[in-house]
Amino acid sequence: MPLLSFNEGAGFIPCLFSLLEKRGTICMKLSHSIIRLLIAGCLSVAAIADDTPRATIAKAVLMTEDAEEQARLVSSLAATGSEETGKLLSLWRQGGIFIHDLPDETQVAITLEGNADEEGRQRALRVDDGKPLLDASGQPVLLVAADLVTADTDSNLRRAMNSVLDLLALSTPDVAARKNAVTKLGMSQKLERLEDLKTRQAKETNADVKLALEEAIALVQLKSKDALVQAAAARKLGDMKSMMSKDFLLALDKEARAAQPANTEISAAVTEALAKIETHTKWVNFYGTLFRGVSLGSVLLVVAIGLAITFGLMGVINMAHGELIAVGAYATYMVHNLFGAGLSLSPFGWSVWIPGLNAGGALYDAYFIVALPVAFLSAALVGIALERGIIQFLYRRPLESLLATWGVSLVLQQLFKLIFGSNNVQVYSPQWLSGSWTVMDVSFGWNRLFVIGFAVAIIIATWLLLTKTSLGLLIRAVMQNRQMAACMGVRTERVNMLTFGFGSGLAGLAGAFLSQIGNVGPSLGQNYIVEAFMTVVVGGVGSLAGTVISAMGIGVIDQALQQILLNPVLGKILVLGAIILFLQWRPAGMFVTQSRSLDN
Amino acid sequence: MRRSISKVELGLVAGMCLLMAVVLPLLNSAGIVTDFTISVWGKYMCYALLAISVDLLWGYTGLLSLGQALFFSLGGYMLGMHLMLMIGNLGQYKSDLPDFMVFLGHTFLPWFWKPFASFSFSALMVLLVPGLLALVFGYLAFRSRIKGVYFSILTQALTYAAALLFFRNDLIMGGNNGFTDFKMLLGFDIRDADTKRGLFVATALLLTAVYLGCRWLTCSKFGLVQQAIRDGENRVLFSGYPVARYKLFVFVLSSIIASVGGALYVPQVGIINPSEMSTTKSLEAVVWVAIGGRGTLVGPIIGAVGVNALKSWASRAYPDGWLIGMGVVFILVVLFLPKGIVGIPAQLAALQKRNDDPPPLAPISPTPVIETPEPAIHA
Amino acid sequence: MKLLKSVGLALLAASIALGSVPGARAAEDTVKVGVLHSLSGTMAISETSLRDVLLFTFDEINKSGGVMGKKIEPVVVDGASDWPLFAEKAKQLLEQDKVAAIFGCWTSVSRKSVLPVVEQANGLLFYPVQYEGEEMSKNIIYTAEAVNQQATPAVDYCLAQGKKKFYLLGSDYVYPQTTNLVLLEYLLSKGVPIENIGGGLKKDEAGNVISAGKYTPFGHTDYQQIVSEIKQFAAGGNAVIINTLNGDTNVPFFKEYAAAGLNAEDCPVVSFSISEDEFRGLPAKDLVGQLGCWTYFQSIASPANKKFVTNFKKWLQTTKETGIVKENRVTCSPMVLSYNGVYLWKKAVEQAKSFEVEKVVAALEKGISFDGPGGTVTSQKNHHVTKNVYIGETKADGQFKILKSYKGVAGEPFLKGTFKAKVAAK
Repeated sequence: MPLLSFNEGAGFIPCLFSLLEKRGTICMKLSHSIIRLLIAGCLSVAAIADDTPRATIAKAVLMTEDAEEQARLVSSLAATGSEETGKLLSLWRQGGIFIHDLPDETQVAITLEGNADEEGRQRALRVDDGKPLLDASGQPVLLVAADLVTADTDSNLRRAMNSVLDLLALSTPDVAARKNAVTKLGMSQKLERLEDLKTRQAKETNADVKLALEEAIALVQLKSKDALVQAAAARKLGDMKSMMSKDFLLALDKEARAAQPANTEISAAVTEALAKIETHTKWVNFYGTLFRGVSLGSVLLVVAIGLAITFGLMGVINMAHGELIAVGAYATYMVHNLFGAGLSLSPFGWSVWIPGLNAGGALYDAYFIVALPVAFLSAALVGIALERGIIQFLYRRPLESLLATWGVSLVLQQLFKLIFGSNNVQVYSPQWLSGSWTVMDVSFGWNRLFVIGFAVAIIIATWLLLTKTSLGLLIRAVMQNRQMAACMGVRTERVNMLTFGFGSGLAGLAGAFLSQIGNVGPSLGQNYIVEAFMTVVVGGVGSLAGTVISAMGIGVIDQALQQILLNPVLGKILVLGAIILFLQWRPAGMFVTQSRSLDN
Repeated sequence: MRRSISKVELGLVAGMCLLMAVVLPLLNSAGIVTDFTISVWGKYMCYALLAISVDLLWGYTGLLSLGQALFFSLGGYMLGMHLMLMIGNLGQYKSDLPDFMVFLGHTFLPWFWKPFASFSFSALMVLLVPGLLALVFGYLAFRSRIKGVYFSILTQALTYAAALLFFRNDLIMGGNNGFTDFKMLLGFDIRDADTKRGLFVATALLLTAVYLGCRWLTCSKFGLVQQAIRDGENRVLFSGYPVARYKLFVFVLSSIIASVGGALYVPQVGIINPSEMSTTKSLEAVVWVAIGGRGTLVGPIIGAVGVNALKSWASRAYPDGWLIGMGVVFILVVLFLPKGIVGIPAQLAALQKRNDDPPPLAPISPTPVIETPEPAIHA
Repeated sequence: MKLLKSVGLALLAASIALGSVPGARAAEDTVKVGVLHSLSGTMAISETSLRDVLLFTFDEINKSGGVMGKKIEPVVVDGASDWPLFAEKAKQLLEQDKVAAIFGCWTSVSRKSVLPVVEQANGLLFYPVQYEGEEMSKNIIYTAEAVNQQATPAVDYCLAQGKKKFYLLGSDYVYPQTTNLVLLEYLLSKGVPIENIGGGLKKDEAGNVISAGKYTPFGHTDYQQIVSEIKQFAAGGNAVIINTLNGDTNVPFFKEYAAAGLNAEDCPVVSFSISEDEFRGLPAKDLVGQLGCWTYFQSIASPANKKFVTNFKKWLQTTKETGIVKENRVTCSPMVLSYNGVYLWKKAVEQAKSFEVEKVVAALEKGISFDGPGGTVTSQKNHHVTKNVYIGETKADGQFKILKSYKGVAGEPFLKGTFKAKVAAK
């Protein structure tokens, strides 16, 4: 049985309990719990009656052994809270309130304020009265944040905080926070909050929040005692195509049907509203699927574009393409850590530690911009080494290049494990790639929008390089007729090397992006390699446009099948089957590169 | 030399067969060779069958299939279904249904499981299911003249799709866990040392038979056409041979050999699950053949046994490094030993002969070739 | 040709010799035990930690006098994430090394592969990782969490928190499938209407539910559609996601979840396969506030646990075993269950005064107790183990803040149908 640690006023209780504890019979323990409950109950009632919001928060912070009481105390702040309460609660949530042991063995809740001195010490403020904490000699106490015990929160408590904060947030100047608060209040369906919402509605100027208020008010009104108001609210929600109200409408319908006599007025309104919402949902799913398809297509495209160069143009089956993607992802990881807390590697039992920049905010978020060229270059270098070391000997034996590069893929995977460990590594997304943008209930994730733009940029860059630069001219010449190009004085070996390096670099870029949406681990490349090959083959080997169209096609069909079958795997299997059949019909893919050569 | 089987070779084959099918089992029942050794070697011989099937396609016909592991596991699954039904009510739930069905809430046997209660039906399915799949897939692929790397990529996709399918519990084929806990086969207790020995002997005999059969086939006129297709498909086509049909026959035949290997593998190792179906497993089989020496029949056997024995030892001795070692060995073999271990003596001889000439293995510069015939493997 | 054949023959002979070296006999004052985990391949990420903790436990026991005066001599073999190889290695341990017990396996499929081997050779396997139940072999002791020691307490907690809608999501293998079928029955028995259980139901022709929830394969990378479905499911609030996704796939799922604007306060995720050890490979910051349920957390504040954690970390620094990662190590439930398993075996051997499997099992069936780091554990007649269950919430440092604990929950392997039957009886 844990001892309670109340603040000073209740100092006798721990002594009492420790006495009881020593007896320790079941019967004693039972009565002991009852006493505890009673005392805690009295105390909290007293707290609500007398304490300022600050004092209540301080009390709640110290009640670390009783999560339910903490939540109750915090909830009580809804009636008395002010702007200051909101700030303190947010601070608590973020771990900015600490528990400090006083010399007399009591505890006090504090916050830290002001700039830290050279030893990292800051001025301590008491939570209960907002005044500086003074030591025995009356001097303000200076403390180091890292040495203090942070006041923890759990999700139950945070939910209580949120509902208080939501109420307080009704008048916050931050539009997003206000809107969120309104929605939460609506979903809680508490009639006693209706007035608060209506008051706000009268004052509100922002259009988005106004809509949210309407929705929230209608939601709360579903619980109204007046059947007419309920029916009107249901119709209102239907007109608003409110997707979140679906569950609440269904619940209302159930109630109305169960009532004696059944309330047909409400039922009819609900049915009508649900039909409207259903239609709306269909459209949302349709556009959502389309977007998800394009975004998946873009991922495929980003992954396959490097292959479209090395396989499509050069005819090399590079089974280590997936590992080149992983090289890009690991390069991103390294840049990420160099911007952050530093990088520790243990290649072959050696321990290497490279200190990081410990950047924060915008500079930290910029790591991804730096990571892109690094990923491109590192993968390109590995690719060039691969081409010089192995592939150049196997241009005439494509099947053997398949096998040799598979060997390379085994070696690289194992090397990743030895250098970075067999666990996946953590890569956090920059702020500007998190979150989403919602239009008419269809949400567009920033990372997903980014990949679409990223794919477009890569395609344009590749196209420009191939068609508008002299290197591109040489590449095309060598790939079309190597012998003739060599006769014209083109250094074909160098062009081969650069082309392969470019394709590999593109794989590295893919890796940099994939680190933002999934795992970074030794087997990263394996998850994408089959799909990447299929994308290139379906598009037609040697055709950039073909790769684009096939990637988009596969992406959209895959997502559409997922939406229809509501099954993630079956869709994938069907797509693979369809691809196999498609290739029987068009063995060279969608866009055939015409050639007179017999064995092309 | 290659037109017929020499007496020496026949003697060696007979000797090996005698060793594996008679001597080892006898030593085992006498307690000199452990049960463990028997089960490990039984497994290696099944792998050898798989390797032969890869070689028949790749080494002799120039078709690199990455789907042989699929046929191997399909064979395993077909016999596995029979073995699952033979557990009867000896399973965890004392139910007539296989355990995995009971705990997924099935109350009756799905229709496609019912005939597998018969051993002969299951044995027939071991031949028919992979054979038919190969027939349909091969017919479509060869008809539209898909070859070379495209064929490899397509078979890889087929294997990948099949593995995804078999991983699904909805298929009622045991999902990720596959089939395990076999008890009886043809009335014998499968966990018994005698039954294991019997399976071992059967595998040894079958391997010998497959070896001799393939040897005969590749020496026949059919085999010559097969190799001609590998070396210059268009020339064969223009000479009036129905190339697609030849390829189809070899594809179906090799799928059946792989499947039989799988069917013998499952009762010996006691488990079949979809991870056996991965393209990685197919590629591993290709590696055995490449290391052993493709375009010969003894090469795949040496490769399969050698690489697996090496793996058993190295994965224990160097758990971190062995994959790198294997990858590097493999790259070196592809680059410098295109004929594998079996080809070493010939290469050494050639080296000696042309002592003064530039070395034959100098890097081939990527000179352009308008028509790229695969270099002949048998010099 | 002749040369080739002889080369081949020599190779074969050499390999036969390699394969059949008999295991060295155990010395008189030691007892051999097997450690059978994947040290390479995909599962090595998780299983290597269990090997480490087992070696630590053996050292600890040997220092305090061993088992019945005999020192433990571990035989470590690598299952290499290859299921047939697990059976082969188990056979090797039992037949060649004659080990007294095997501690090992992680995945269900590896256990299923080893099961016939230990049953036939009458060996003894201690299995330490949360699993789907529906199994009770006379030769296996399941120190692992059964479904009622993890999933149902977690659901109880969510119901107590006022959650009304449950979305079931998992990797497509037997543990999530079975767990979700049990949870479906459990939720229905608790009065949750069937339309409030998300992820989809599948029925066979006879109308029996054969699968509940949404399943993705291993290595799945695209969770866009599933997350958008969850978002609509959770739009009305009070929803929770029951997550049985396997380690790797959690990353793309949680990244998509965060990108869609879902968060732990509105729609928390209860995960059954993410322990402290898995956290080392997950973006912990994205997972703050999500729930976990295990029979042990490193953050348990008992003296026994503190001692265990300190000793283990000290051992890591001093051990001379090769291939052990020494930095940033944590302890987690499967590790502690392995540790408990060894001690339960030790106590049972001492009580039975024999290493014979029958006698040891009989002692365990009578009930052996051990005060482990996660609280007292007691072996049961049904080869499972009674232990405490903890619900925790993840923190940014990869540890769990314990929210609730259930004391002395008995492991029950066969749950399917029991809740349905209870409802019918009412």
